[in-house]
Order: sequence, then C-alpha cells, then structure tokens
Amino acid sequence: MSSETILEGQDIWKIYGSLEVLRGVNISIRRGQTKVIIGPSGSGKSTLLRILGLLEPPTRGRVVFKGRDVYSEGLDLAKIRSKIGFVFQQPSLFRHLTALENIKLGPKLVLGMSEKEAERRAREMLKLVHLEEFADYYPAQLSGGQQQRVAIARALAMNPDILLLDEPTANLDIELTWEVIEVMEELARKGITMLVVTHEIPFAREVADEICFISDGVIQECNEPEEMIRNPQTPRARIFLKRLLGEV
Amino acid sequence: MSIVSDLFFILNGITATISISFLSFGIGFLLGILLAFIRLYAPKPAALLGDAYVKLFLGVPVLVFMLLFHFGFGQFIPLFKSAYFSSVFALGLRSGAYQSQIFKAAINSIPRDQLLAARALGLTDSQILRHVVLPQAFIVALPGLGSEIALLIKDSAYAFILGVLDITKYADILRAAYREFVTPYVLAAMLYIVLTFPIANYLDKLGSRLKKKYAL
Repeated sequence: MSSETILEGQDIWKIYGSLEVLRGVNISIRRGQTKVIIGPSGSGKSTLLRILGLLEPPTRGRVVFKGRDVYSEGLDLAKIRSKIGFVFQQPSLFRHLTALENIKLGPKLVLGMSEKEAERRAREMLKLVHLEEFADYYPAQLSGGQQQRVAIARALAMNPDILLLDEPTANLDIELTWEVIEVMEELARKGITMLVVTHEIPFAREVADEICFISDGVIQECNEPEEMIRNPQTPRARIFLKRLLGEV
Repeated sequence: MSIVSDLFFILNGITATISISFLSFGIGFLLGILLAFIRLYAPKPAALLGDAYVKLFLGVPVLVFMLLFHFGFGQFIPLFKSAYFSSVFALGLRSGAYQSQIFKAAINSIPRDQLLAARALGLTDSQILRHVVLPQAFIVALPGLGSEIALLIKDSAYAFILGVLDITKYADILRAAYREFVTPYVLAAMLYIVLTFPIANYLDKLGSRLKKKYAL
C-alpha cells in the first residue's frame, strides 16, 4: 500500500517525573487505514493517543502530520488539531448545548462556516450516526451510546484527515457498545482513516487493517487482525489476548 | 406617626440601598471574573497576588474599608469624599473577592474532558473560555451570586454610618425624631427581607433548574 501517511509518531517518549509512560513508540497511519491499538491498563495507550492528537507534547520524539514535524516546525497546533478528530472515553459533550449545537460549534468557530452551512453540516453528521431526530436534545437527555455517537459526529463535522478514538465504548453497557461499534464500522467501510484504542476484538477483526499491541510503554508488535488474534508473537500479547478473549 | 407613614418615610432610602447594592455587585462581578481567571490561569506571582487580595478583603470587616476609603482616602481622592461612592467601592471590592471565589469554583467544576474536547476541535483558549467554560460556569455560579446580592443589600446598611441616606438611616431618623425604638427598625428589617429574599430565591431556583436541565 503506497497511500499517503497521515499521522506518524516517531520515537515518542513520555516521562512524568520518574515514570516512563511511553518509551520510544513508533507508529504511523496511512490514509484510509483503520488501525487498532490494544494493551493492558496503564500501558500508555491513551497517552499515545493524546500525544498523536496534539493534546499534549511528547517528552521526546516527533509527531508528523502529513509529512510535517508539528513541534519542530512550530506549526499552528489549534489548526492541525482541527484536522485530527478525537473521541474520548467519556463523550465530553458540551452540556449546555444541544446535540446539533455541539456539532455546529467547531465548523462555525474553527472552519469559519456560516450558521446555515454549519447547521447543514451538523445535520448531515447526525444522519451519519443515525441520530437526526435527536438534534435538539441536550446531552443529559441522551443515553451514553447516543452521546458517544454525537461526539463522533462532532469530530467528523470538522472533516478531519484522521479520527482518533480512545476506548469510546469503555464506559458503555453491551447494548450501547454495539450502537457505537456499528457506527465505527460504517466509518471504516466509508474509508475514514481511524486509529482506535479498543478492546472490542470483534470490531478489530471486522474492520481493522492492523492491530498493534502496546505494553509497558512500548509497541510490542503489530500485525493483521487474524494473525494477531490467532498467533501473537510476544508472550505478553499472548497472555493479554487470552484473557481478553476469555480463554483463561 | 402611623406605621404606613413610617413605612413611606423609610422607603425614601430604598434608592440608595438598591443602587449601592447593585453598583457594588457590578464592580464585584467584573472584578470577580477577572480575579478568578488570574488565580486560575495567570503566572504564579500574579495568581499569588490575586489570592492575597481575596484573603485581605475576606479577612477584614467591610466597614473598616468603608471608613478607610471615606475618612482616609477621601482626604486625597475627591471621589471618596462622597460617603455614597466610598460605600459602593468598599462593598464592590469586597464583593470582587467573594465573587472570585464563586467563579473560581464554578470554572473548576467544568469537567476537564470538555476542555480537552474543545481543544481537540481546534478551538483557541479564548474561544474555549467564551463558548464552553463561561456559559456553564455562570449557571453553576447563579445560586452563589444570588447569595452575594443578598449579602450586599444587607451590608449596604453600613453606609448609614458614613451618613448615606439609605433604609437604615431613615429608620434611625425616625427613632431619633419620634423616640420610636421598635417600629422603624422592624419596618426596615421587613424591607430588607422583601429586597433580599425574592432575588436570592429566584437565582437559586433558576440555577438549580438549569443545573438539572444540563446535568451540570
């Protein structure tokens, strides 16, 4: 595959005091690719995603967005962030705004769309996540799964080059998890570039181009989904997947 | 004098009481937001100065500042020769300290993940404050602001010591002129309740209703 690399982390280190959370991580995501990161709690998955989403800088290493080193070239972080969609574990919707207003905010303020354009875009995105009839609902009136789908729509409304999703179903029950997974699968089929931290192996198996296993701040291995699930190369990945798949 | 005529006489002071309370609230509101931001986001020396300001105004009775402004600063600053403005500024500066506490707590109550989400969308810091933080912080702050207005209306009574013709002063004039020791003060007390209770109650209820609506 020779498509353009959208986002790359090169030798990423993150150190808090004496704690090395990430230790020289290398990762890249090409246009149209869906990459899944799995790994135990505290392995550095979320930190890696926040660094790639430019929400915090690495202690060392480079974040390269579409061929440009974000930090050393002193690029406008807010502008690039708007091209990297981010969906958090918690839906993180703005609670004083309706679903529609949540989605409109970025296109209006950051992309400079008119009220009318932003509204049209927001309604398109709500349709994409099957929530068009909930446009005027406040977050408090939506279920966790619906809130997470609005958060996905909000990120997509910016027309990002890549979508980063940090365990978007971690706090949802099984039924609500599937609402979100279905939307993510649709996005993957539409060719939206995604980097997803998730433990939803069926989702990874269905749509991921590659699964990477991270542990102790290091990406231990990356492989095609079936290969990774059936035949992990490192002992840690083997134990982790066995536990995850309920084989232990 | 009858109770009704006493009441009408005391009502002459209502303009001063209300205007002192609301002007000082306005000063305190602007100062409170500014101080809250300084204490939360400014570099450490400025934040420490902000904290020191709050400690000073919360630790000293407001009457002391009113006397200091009027009789002390009034000798050098023409504005403070006015008992009215000395009262407004002393109460306003003290209210700034209180309101900064209210706004600081309200801003801190906005979940951090919302700020991260706003940043992830590419919003600048000022856009995040204006469109995400402040609208929600105001809702959270409403009950506290209601209590603060009530406090200012009550504390505006100290202005009578400087000679301002407010509700308390008119009640005291009745006491001195007609040797009525109970009725004027009871009427004044009732007027203060009529002024403070509805506004504090309204803002408290509005805040609770909006907090519930938005699950803040």
